[in-house]
Amino acid sequence: MTTLSRTLAGALIAVTFSAMAPAAFAVPSFARQTGMACEACHTVWPELTHFGRMFKASGYVIDNLKQVKGVTPQRDEILELSSLPPLSLMVQVSGTHLSNPLPDSAVNAKSQNGTIAFPQQISLFYAGKIAPHVGAFIQLTYASDSGTIGIDNTDLRYANLKVLPDDQSLVYGLSLNNNPTIQDLWNSTPAFGFPYAASPSAPGVPYGAQIDGARGQDVAGLSAYVFWNESLYGELGMYRSAKQGTAGPLDSTTAGGVLKGGAPYWRFAYEHNFGRHSIEAGVYGATFEIFPDFGTGFGKQLAGPADKYQDVAEDVQYQFIGEQHLFSFEATRIHEAQTLNATFAAAASDSLHNDLTTLRAFGTYYYKRKVGGTVGYFSTTGSTDATFLANPSGQPDTKGWIAEVNYLPWLNAKLSLQYVNYSKYSGLRSNYDGAGRNAGDNNTIYALVWLSY
Amino acid sequence: MMKRSLTAIAVACALATGVARADDSDPIARATATRLAVGVCGTCHGPRGISQQPKYPRLAGQNANYLTAQLKAFRGQTRGDPDAIGYMWGMAGNLEDSTIDALAQYYASQPAIVGRHADPALVARGKAIYEEGLSSAGVPACAACHGPDAHGIGDFPRLAGQHAQYVLKQLNSFQTNMRNVAVMHGVAQGLKSDEMSAVAAFLEAQP
Repeated sequence: MTTLSRTLAGALIAVTFSAMAPAAFAVPSFARQTGMACEACHTVWPELTHFGRMFKASGYVIDNLKQVKGVTPQRDEILELSSLPPLSLMVQVSGTHLSNPLPDSAVNAKSQNGTIAFPQQISLFYAGKIAPHVGAFIQLTYASDSGTIGIDNTDLRYANLKVLPDDQSLVYGLSLNNNPTIQDLWNSTPAFGFPYAASPSAPGVPYGAQIDGARGQDVAGLSAYVFWNESLYGELGMYRSAKQGTAGPLDSTTAGGVLKGGAPYWRFAYEHNFGRHSIEAGVYGATFEIFPDFGTGFGKQLAGPADKYQDVAEDVQYQFIGEQHLFSFEATRIHEAQTLNATFAAAASDSLHNDLTTLRAFGTYYYKRKVGGTVGYFSTTGSTDATFLANPSGQPDTKGWIAEVNYLPWLNAKLSLQYVNYSKYSGLRSNYDGAGRNAGDNNTIYALVWLSY
Repeated sequence: MMKRSLTAIAVACALATGVARADDSDPIARATATRLAVGVCGTCHGPRGISQQPKYPRLAGQNANYLTAQLKAFRGQTRGDPDAIGYMWGMAGNLEDSTIDALAQYYASQPAIVGRHADPALVARGKAIYEEGLSSAGVPACAACHGPDAHGIGDFPRLAGQHAQYVLKQLNSFQTNMRNVAVMHGVAQGLKSDEMSAVAAFLEAQP
């Protein structure tokens, strides 16, 4: 393995690790703003109900609070501010146990098993109305693995409603956000998909598509959307690099790669509701052209060939929301076609063209929103490229299943026990790292206390 | 000039405190109610009061008296079924009387939906219960209070065209007294689950 490809792989893994531990998102300030209980917007958070999707599409502005107002002498409203700021706090405390401890990073020994993260994450949210038709979901997070406070998922929205002549509704709006799919309304897409929380210290799925969390908090995007008659959804947007922790302007030394120009994003979905059932099917995707960083010292000047990642995905969601029993199923398949113009030219990949396919499917059951669990399957497969992927098998294939049980003594407090089982990791069942580590050694037991208030 | 400024201040104060004069013809209350109904309530109940989701009742054409009473019951936290607590206690918690009246007028003036057809046998059974009651079980005819066309009378709500799932849920809530209405508790006591379903199907099919 060359230094170059090792560095590249390191960066890739770092990116996907952070993507595997999604920062999430149940925000009591929405409840305070609307006066509605969590169950209005969520089956069990963060999964959205139909009303939750409408609330999000409407720009987070529905409220019942007294407003501080300002008007002109002509009665034009120039200010409408909630009397209370929509703030929330989220705390996660977790423990992680691996089937076999990871190797010590410095000497030939094992690392400690049983990692406690206290907190794993603390987030402060401003989530709610800013002005008529304008709302914000802004998350500031301290994470124990980084030891820093940084901007997390952010979604600023403008939305409005038009009543069509036949009384059908047309919600339309804009979203300015920093994570492709964070603005999406369904829980089958990556940013708000299962697992909603994951261990910060266990190995996660090491390879993923760009749209699958890799560009979270690394880009800024503006998209325009319409939601017709609570059923047909369409969105078009464009993302551009917006790095955190890096001085601008971006150049060949910028870590993590820089987008060439803008990355177009698109999303179409259809939802049908009947009785207590809701079904959705959709497609989404984005095309990223990236100047790879190749690691410090091997900077690619921000011109000439760039690596092209074309992500095309399908998703489905089904929900049954009964008085006692709640069931949901979500699945997505993301296909990424990679054309590694820059990487291949720098001899950092064996092939010019690679591909990666990720499939995730999970089903969730809750009884009275109090006790429940999720069982899911995940699989990432793709073409063989030992230089690019920088692992002994040369394959990205990683597969397994995940099971989680949850207990919510209160609607805003969740106790979770999660088990992740890998049948294949980085292309192999055994000795995937060339140093004797097996896929099953990464099996993880993860306990989480998750509070939102 | 002075007069105009004072008017502007008065309007600004009224808007800032959310106070609108209690007058049906008050254009501010009407405008506020329409904005609320379309932009806020409409998210669940539909912009004109015709909800798509059966979890949320259709309000178009509903009796204004009934709507006013319900909104005040939500605001006063006296209607205790779980959806009332989870959704409406909060949404109605800060409504002024004048806004409640204007909202009620708004929905009452919206054209109701044409009923949806369901299983004819179920509808026929529901029709019989609605019109004649179940004397053996001590259930009076629904039509006596809600009207022969189920459009409601006085304080009694319109039921025609309402989502069957919603009607069924309310009947269950009356039966268990989660929604505490003495008259309906008495009526619902004698109804079996399949009889409730039949009445609900009949009502949803009514124009």
